[in-house]
Amino acid sequence: MSTQTPEREAVAAAPTPGCSKQAALMIMSLFVVLAVAATTLGSDLLRRAAATTDGDFAGETLEVLIPLAEGGGTDTWARYVGTELSHVVPGQPGFAPVNEPGGEGIAGTNAFVAEARADGTEILVSTASSVVPWVLGRSEVQYDFDQLTPILANGSGGVIYARTAAGVSSVEDLVNRDTPLRFGGISATGLDLTTLVAFDLLGADVESIFGFEGRGPVNLALQRGEVDLDYQTTSAYGPAVAPLVLSGTAVPLMSMGQVDVAGKIVRDPNFPDLPTVVEVYEQLYGEAPGGPALEAYRSLLALTYTWQKAMWVPEKTPDAAVQTLRTSAHEMAEDPEFTDAAAEVLGGYPIIADDDLPALVHDAYTVEPDVRDYVVELLASDHDVQLD
Amino acid sequence: MLDSALAALASLTQPSLLLMLAVGVVAGLVIGLIPGLGGTGAVAILLPVTFGMEAEQALALLIGALAVVHTSDTVAAVLLGAPGSASASVTMLDGYAMAKQGRAARALSLAFLSSMAGGIIGAVGLTLAIPLARPLVLSFGAPELFMLTVLGVSLAAVLSRGNVAKGLVAGCLGLLLGLVGIAPSTAEYRFTGGSLFLADGLSLVAVALGVFGLAEIASRVGQRQQPGEEIALGHGWLAGVREWLGHWTQVIRGALIGIWAGVLPGVGATAGTWLAYGQSVATAKDKSKFGKGDPRGIIGPESANNSVEAGDLIPTLLFGIPGGVPAAMLLGTLLTYGIQPGPAIVTDHLDLMYLIVWAFAIASVVGAALCFLVTKPLARITKVPFAVLGPGLVVVMLLGAFQESGQLGDLWVMIALGLLGWLLKDTGFPRAPFLIGFVLAIPLERYYFLTDAVYDGAEWLARPWVIVFLVVLIAPAVFALIRYLRRRRGTDTDDRTVEPAGDDEGELSGSVWSLLTAAGMLVVFVTAFVVAGGYSPDARLVPRLITGVGALAALVLLILEIRRLRSVSTSPVPGEQPARRRFPGVAVAARTFVWMAAFLGLVALGGYVAAALVFVPAFLLYVARARTRTVLVYGLVTAALLVLAPILLPVELPLGALMTR
Repeated sequence: MSTQTPEREAVAAAPTPGCSKQAALMIMSLFVVLAVAATTLGSDLLRRAAATTDGDFAGETLEVLIPLAEGGGTDTWARYVGTELSHVVPGQPGFAPVNEPGGEGIAGTNAFVAEARADGTEILVSTASSVVPWVLGRSEVQYDFDQLTPILANGSGGVIYARTAAGVSSVEDLVNRDTPLRFGGISATGLDLTTLVAFDLLGADVESIFGFEGRGPVNLALQRGEVDLDYQTTSAYGPAVAPLVLSGTAVPLMSMGQVDVAGKIVRDPNFPDLPTVVEVYEQLYGEAPGGPALEAYRSLLALTYTWQKAMWVPEKTPDAAVQTLRTSAHEMAEDPEFTDAAAEVLGGYPIIADDDLPALVHDAYTVEPDVRDYVVELLASDHDVQLD
Repeated sequence: MLDSALAALASLTQPSLLLMLAVGVVAGLVIGLIPGLGGTGAVAILLPVTFGMEAEQALALLIGALAVVHTSDTVAAVLLGAPGSASASVTMLDGYAMAKQGRAARALSLAFLSSMAGGIIGAVGLTLAIPLARPLVLSFGAPELFMLTVLGVSLAAVLSRGNVAKGLVAGCLGLLLGLVGIAPSTAEYRFTGGSLFLADGLSLVAVALGVFGLAEIASRVGQRQQPGEEIALGHGWLAGVREWLGHWTQVIRGALIGIWAGVLPGVGATAGTWLAYGQSVATAKDKSKFGKGDPRGIIGPESANNSVEAGDLIPTLLFGIPGGVPAAMLLGTLLTYGIQPGPAIVTDHLDLMYLIVWAFAIASVVGAALCFLVTKPLARITKVPFAVLGPGLVVVMLLGAFQESGQLGDLWVMIALGLLGWLLKDTGFPRAPFLIGFVLAIPLERYYFLTDAVYDGAEWLARPWVIVFLVVLIAPAVFALIRYLRRRRGTDTDDRTVEPAGDDEGELSGSVWSLLTAAGMLVVFVTAFVVAGGYSPDARLVPRLITGVGALAALVLLILEIRRLRSVSTSPVPGEQPARRRFPGVAVAARTFVWMAAFLGLVALGGYVAAALVFVPAFLLYVARARTRTVLVYGLVTAALLVLAPILLPVELPLGALMTR
């Protein structure tokens, strides 16, 4: 291999420049001019003004920002709903999902409120992991859902279940125990928070273990007997929990319930036979629950289940563009072909995009200071989590 | 069962499915060649294409790509020393060493064959796993996974030949870096300095490409090619095949470890590949060739990194619990077709399961065959001087790393880690323990706390798998100790004279630089130890343990270095003054890193295309001293590809501050 191409020989041997100084300067200035052109042209091409107020999105691209990594439930949901939405919006805009993970959804959402164009072509996806830090008022959060306009929302539900071998056969076994039940959690400041508040409301004798990678691994840990209590969302209940219930390994205790239009906690339509957390309280204590714990539970239930996932645009987006998007989303949600095909992705809950959406979302996303104080106190006293 | 298997195979003869499978394979191979994209990139790029397809077609496309990404990612690792994905950095250890000895063809044919076999065994494993997966997954609780992570990190340190102290220091540094971000048990931010960008930890792609890829560029850009150092493809294809057949047990062992690592949630491709490497070394009688081009160092990991992807599909399909990001995205795809993964998938969608199995197996074979065909033309790239190749590689690698998080900060981290990687390499610290420490830090902490919370006292130590791992863990340490004691009693000169100053020894090994590095590490560990004091007790424990061990090892190393320098300077060596050795490589590497940083600075200002338009020609003119025509064509083609990339593929370019928003 000693005889090589002449080019290589030249480069290897010659310490002198490949071309003269002047030539080099000329080439460099050429490229610098190109670079300056690329910077200005590039930004113009990328950021030309969108025409979205005429009821037609032709030639535009819906850029959907997912503040989480690829591959989770929210990512799947956003990609699917976003694709379908781009098909029904007049003018059939393109669809570009952008994942911006970081800080459990906080970083991407911060970036959206700071930079997104208010013309209806940039859409934010929200989910429990970006909503809960906002409820808790964490210092990293620079966004406010009151300053965003909702396009559509989609709910979810959940079921709390227990391992029968831990000595649980009904909800009565949650209280007055010799040894506490072990609940497997991911992090006290995520979706688990709603379940923790439910346990607190019920006065359940529960010891929480955090640090699991996800709800799937908790379900496996329960099957191994490492934990006794778990909850799964509606879409995971069928494959992950139903077989365990059938074989007698586990018993479903209650559903999280849903918050209805009047703000009442009602049974989950997907689990009509399971009592809600509120009903369980009545069963255990013979009276209706009240006080700050119930208020906190209701608030969190609305935010993290009934209105769990949503798509938003910046507040300053022109009404006409918002209307076009929301009407299209509503048509999509009403289309039986869509609801059939999307059944698994939507997890059994309809997409809401009607005219009542802004008012309902506004109600749900208005969190009383008492609720925040209660939650912060609960986290500090029971779970050793100090919030700034 | 056999009926559905044959029916699935028959359905694959449909032209539409075959076409999708072929497209997937080709796309997967191309994506694997580009450093930084890997399996996640393959699925992310192909996913939008699948919307509107039938479920079978979409699966054929995605599985075809996923099955072969880890076949072609080896090419860059072996030929350029720049791994195509994080897990290929394991193959790089021996593959690149082999290529530098002019045996690249042999290394590549070993790798391709192993990848193919890994894929086939993975597919068979996927089939057989249906009845076995459940008990296997359920028998691996928190204690077993904890022991597995400990085993992974310890193997890495023990396998650092002859220099356990350096291996330990590098491993602890990796572990420490892996802890940056949110703590698994208390949701506290650690070592982030209040920056939200660090809150999710550093990106694995940025770390792997920085520590291995950029470091390699920095140390090779300035080198004049010396005879015998060039990467030649050689003619070892057939020799490779023969050698591969001779090591068939390694193939099977590697593939089985890969499947197993894929099935267990939380282990992942990089760690699984590493465990396969570790077992190859641990079970070999003659370990002296590892890291210097031992075929076993290629076969085991290459079989494993393909079978990991198959293994990963097992929990994804049967439990709906994906083991890695590519599998998670595949899971999402299934959901959009109304297929709910879970135990019922075996009864409801058995035909699809077999379609996946067959697609995986066929893709593995076709992918390896295609790789054999294209390697020869691809290998011509190694004839191009590295200084000319360098700027293009920097542009591609940084762009690849940017795709994972979309944050410019990750690229700065990557360059900083490139500097660290170069320092580690040249001062003789092994980089594998560093990477494996980084990957396993959070799982190690997570499963420690879960074990501690779930089990009372030390009862978990009596669990059968834990005992097995304990034996595996302790046995090599005992052997190593015995061997060490024997060697001490015997000739002490062994260590110093027999080891030639090979590549792994590093140019700066044993110099003042090496001493300063050890001192720097000590400072890092002590600082982190102090900083960790500010966290809650649960978040503090593991960082304190790691920094404590790290500081101790760094201290030992520092003392050893001081003693060595002293003995060298006091004993008169004729004709040489080691303390005043000159290191031309240092200046060149430093200059290269300044170039990279300048490039990133330009990106931050004017966006990626503009920065590449300045950086590539400038580097070619003033560092590589390339000819006018080369500069013009190279610069313009790079820019054109960068402009086209986001149009053709879902690739995002970093934007600059001067671009109007």
